[in-house]
Amino acid sequence: MIPVLLAFTCSKTASFFGFAGVAAAMVFANIGAAYGTAKSGVGIASMGTLKPELVMKNIIPVVMAGVLGIYGLIVSVIITQNVSKSEYSAYDGYAHLTAGLCCGLSGLAAGLAIGIVGDAGVRAVGQNENLFVGLILILIFAEALGLYGLIVALILSQASESCEKA
Amino acid sequence: MSSFGVTSTGWIKYADLKANGWGEIIGCINPQSWAAVGIGLSIGLSVVGAAWGILLTGASLVGASVKAPRIRSKNLISIIFCEAVAIYGVIMSIILISKYGSGGDDDVLECNSITTEMYFAGYGIFWSGVTVGLSNLACGVCVGATGSGCALAHAQQESMFVKMLIVEIFGSALGLFGVIVGIIMSTDAAFP
Repeated sequence: MIPVLLAFTCSKTASFFGFAGVAAAMVFANIGAAYGTAKSGVGIASMGTLKPELVMKNIIPVVMAGVLGIYGLIVSVIITQNVSKSEYSAYDGYAHLTAGLCCGLSGLAAGLAIGIVGDAGVRAVGQNENLFVGLILILIFAEALGLYGLIVALILSQASESCEKA
Repeated sequence: MSSFGVTSTGWIKYADLKANGWGEIIGCINPQSWAAVGIGLSIGLSVVGAAWGILLTGASLVGASVKAPRIRSKNLISIIFCEAVAIYGVIMSIILISKYGSGGDDDVLECNSITTEMYFAGYGIFWSGVTVGLSNLACGVCVGATGSGCALAHAQQESMFVKMLIVEIFGSALGLFGVIVGIIMSTDAAFP
């Protein structure tokens, strides 16, 4: 039961921030995934002209970058389920905006890291195959950054405060 | 006779802003104009992404074809992947236009008479359009850069084409994610 002093009326415009969070999660995660895919992809193309048999193994950076897009998709869908026309308080709006920014910007950062490491890494693996395990370890650390953002975003998306309809 | 954000007695009262929070500054812009901008961005930014991708791939494709003419037909698939990004934008903007509704009353609404449903619709369509547009922009550039690498690798090594196509498909999926989120966001958002 909310004490009377703490109850507040629902804000009519709070869905602006809620939907902004959905957009931020998807767009920034996509930009990170796109950068990771393109940068590693160009590295694979360059390496593959001389060592085509290693290409399928070296698609791993591209897959890891794609997973960042999926993180953004997950958070966007979860937040969209919570944005509603009725009884959506400003608190909810701000919480969902922050959740979207957390996931999106973490995905962007992780995508940048995966792209640059993947590009340099696949070119190096083309010259020395022993480096493959080291490359995978570095990529896993970079991927974990996106995962941290996903975890925080999921916790934030559950934050809710009920409001009284005006 | 009142107009956007301006009441019949003059500009929005400062006391109202103080009472209702800075969110009301956003709230006094007609939600239907937010929706219109969203529709424009969804098609505009998608087409920019597709064009960027086509220019990246096309330049490499014709350049590599000079010494390796066999790649010309197969690598047009990369151009088609970029074009698909623009198609996503067209589909999404047509869906959003169907939610745009007709014009309102002759008198332009005052801030206080805009309902929560109208705000929800306006903001939902706007952010849906922004999501689709920017996702397709990123996707188009990604597919273009990868397609360019594909053309150059294919010119040197025949077996590289199919492998680089796998990378392009991963890139293409990003535009689809954006369209999925845009459709889910705009499902409930319709102007009365």
